[in-house]
Amino acid sequence: MIVGEQKPLAEIKEKVAPYSKLLILGCGTCVKTCFAGGEDEVAILASALRLAFKKDGGRIKIEELTIERQCEDEFIKEAALAIARNDAVLSLACGAGVQMVASRFAKAPVLPGVNTTFIGILEKQGLFTEKCLGCGNCILDVFEGICPISRCSKKLLNGPCGGSRNGKCEVNSDTDCAWQLIIDRSKALGQMDKLITYVPPKDWRTSQAGGPRKLVREDHVI
Amino acid sequence: MARNLATTSSTIAVSVNTEQYKPQITVFHCFNAFNNITGSNSSDYNVHSIKMPCSSMTREVFLLRAFEAGADAVIVMVCPDGSCHYIEGNIRAIKRVARMKKLLDEIGLDGRRLNIFQIPHGDQSAVERIINQTVSDLAVLGPNPAT
Amino acid sequence: MNGSRLQQILAQGKFAVTAECGPPRGANAAVILEKGALLKDYVDAVNVTDNQTAIVRMSSIAACSHLVQMGIEPVMQMVTRDRNRIALQSDIMGAYSLGIHNILCLSGDHQTFGSQPEAMNVWDIDCMHLIHTVKGMRDDGKDMSGFELDVAPKMFIGAAENPFADPFEFRVLRLAKKIAAGADFIQTQCIYDMTRFKEWVRLAREQGLTEKVHILGGVTPLKSARMAKYMATRVAGITIPEAIIKRMEAVPKEKAVAEGTKICLETIQELREIKGVHGVHIMAIEWEDKVPEIIKAAGLYPRS
Repeated sequence: MIVGEQKPLAEIKEKVAPYSKLLILGCGTCVKTCFAGGEDEVAILASALRLAFKKDGGRIKIEELTIERQCEDEFIKEAALAIARNDAVLSLACGAGVQMVASRFAKAPVLPGVNTTFIGILEKQGLFTEKCLGCGNCILDVFEGICPISRCSKKLLNGPCGGSRNGKCEVNSDTDCAWQLIIDRSKALGQMDKLITYVPPKDWRTSQAGGPRKLVREDHVI
Repeated sequence: MARNLATTSSTIAVSVNTEQYKPQITVFHCFNAFNNITGSNSSDYNVHSIKMPCSSMTREVFLLRAFEAGADAVIVMVCPDGSCHYIEGNIRAIKRVARMKKLLDEIGLDGRRLNIFQIPHGDQSAVERIINQTVSDLAVLGPNPAT
Repeated sequence: MNGSRLQQILAQGKFAVTAECGPPRGANAAVILEKGALLKDYVDAVNVTDNQTAIVRMSSIAACSHLVQMGIEPVMQMVTRDRNRIALQSDIMGAYSLGIHNILCLSGDHQTFGSQPEAMNVWDIDCMHLIHTVKGMRDDGKDMSGFELDVAPKMFIGAAENPFADPFEFRVLRLAKKIAAGADFIQTQCIYDMTRFKEWVRLAREQGLTEKVHILGGVTPLKSARMAKYMATRVAGITIPEAIIKRMEAVPKEKAVAEGTKICLETIQELREIKGVHGVHIMAIEWEDKVPEIIKAAGLYPRS
């Protein structure tokens, strides 16, 4: 899923300060799963903002609404009326959702309430880890299912750097060295010999470096 | 014996606050911890109690809304370790209160207004002690600035 | 002057001596000229680091060019952290045109360690790709796209290896991989754990790798027990055995430098005796004036 973290309250408060009627729009998919912008988070944030403004002698009127996803028209249109009757929208969706809401409602200021970070997994309760950078050309089979593009701090394709220590990355001792993981798994699968094979430089054109991407599926258009 | 959790309590010297106000205290309690709060009628303070079937029903938004409704302090009372009828309710409540205390600090309301205690079933004297403690704390903290 | 002098020395079977020079944090060429002058007659080549530890310094190519003008043989270090393949190939050609004939190909320290951790990193290609690229440019006269270069850069290609990093069993495989990609010489991370180093060389020798590449063992003289402890715990990829730290702690502060130098000389002596090791690379960090003394005391002066 896409993982993100809700922005600090102080930052959000500053962004919404100019508006007297605010809609906090939550999203029930990725950001709900990582506790950043689902229905519960919308309710808590709304209450926190009301208290914070009241404390300073100010006032803000907040409407709360959560839709299934903010990356599809089918769900966004459910928010149309709510958006129209407020001065601004604080979207707790990922960056994609925020942008879609902004593009569908040209007259409404749309503010981001979440910092979108990565494509990842729920490793265990309360722990989300980055797994995929969306390079557009997956060769996970070459690396026994562990991606060095997203999980090696240096995107090395041919083995670990000299900073790998005790299976951890030199950048952060909490971060596993992806190459240690690849080597361990290769050993477990009896595939250590594969590691001597030279992996050539990546063609980055399929990644974001080649420009913003799109997927067209005419075969699904009626 | 009640155990005080996740609080950053100041020393309580009950000094007379020149700005007298009548503290509003909201208590969320699991009804397995105890059934009723007695001694809740006093001319010096007001206790508003909310019963929950399990402390896992301590939802963060309710704690904040209690402050929006005018509470000066919020107390959560739950069962001791190992006694929760629904196994983890008290653990979840403790975590949620910890999160909300931090958020209250960020809001500027002071996280010390919110506290959680583990009460053995029926320990009425513990309840009274806690309420009295809270009233004393409020003499120092003052009224909820967001009312 | 054509061709790499370092290559010639190693080809003649001599024990090579290289040292390191860090460029200044500014545009002051005089710093390079001073360091160069100190090292000139004592070493066969001088490595110039490339924004080492991601701290912004004068570029390696520029500093190397200053050394060439002084008649000193540089080894241009090139990391792939800051520049993409376009810029790297461009600099390889530029370097050769300036009389630089040796390149050391590295991935580079992560930018979060450096003076501008907010910077974006590049790592378009890794050090293995860089080695392969320089070899292609040199031997085939072509760049990465297959374009035929008007003049091929005839570079002597180096790579770094760290026998002290994990996982150990992979370090020899990685050495083999670098040799296959085109590495002509290897400079290792500084050695304190001689046992582990000897084991690594032994495994390399068993696989015939020491016949295919020139290994230069790295050494760094210790100044104090504090330096030893700092390096052992804070610097990625450096291992210092307890015995060495104890030696440094056992001497009074005034004697620390002398003891550190003694350990360094012992290491160099052992290196000269290991079959498959063809030289020493002295990394006296910001202590370049110590190098001539060490080389003389090690019996490696004059360099003929």
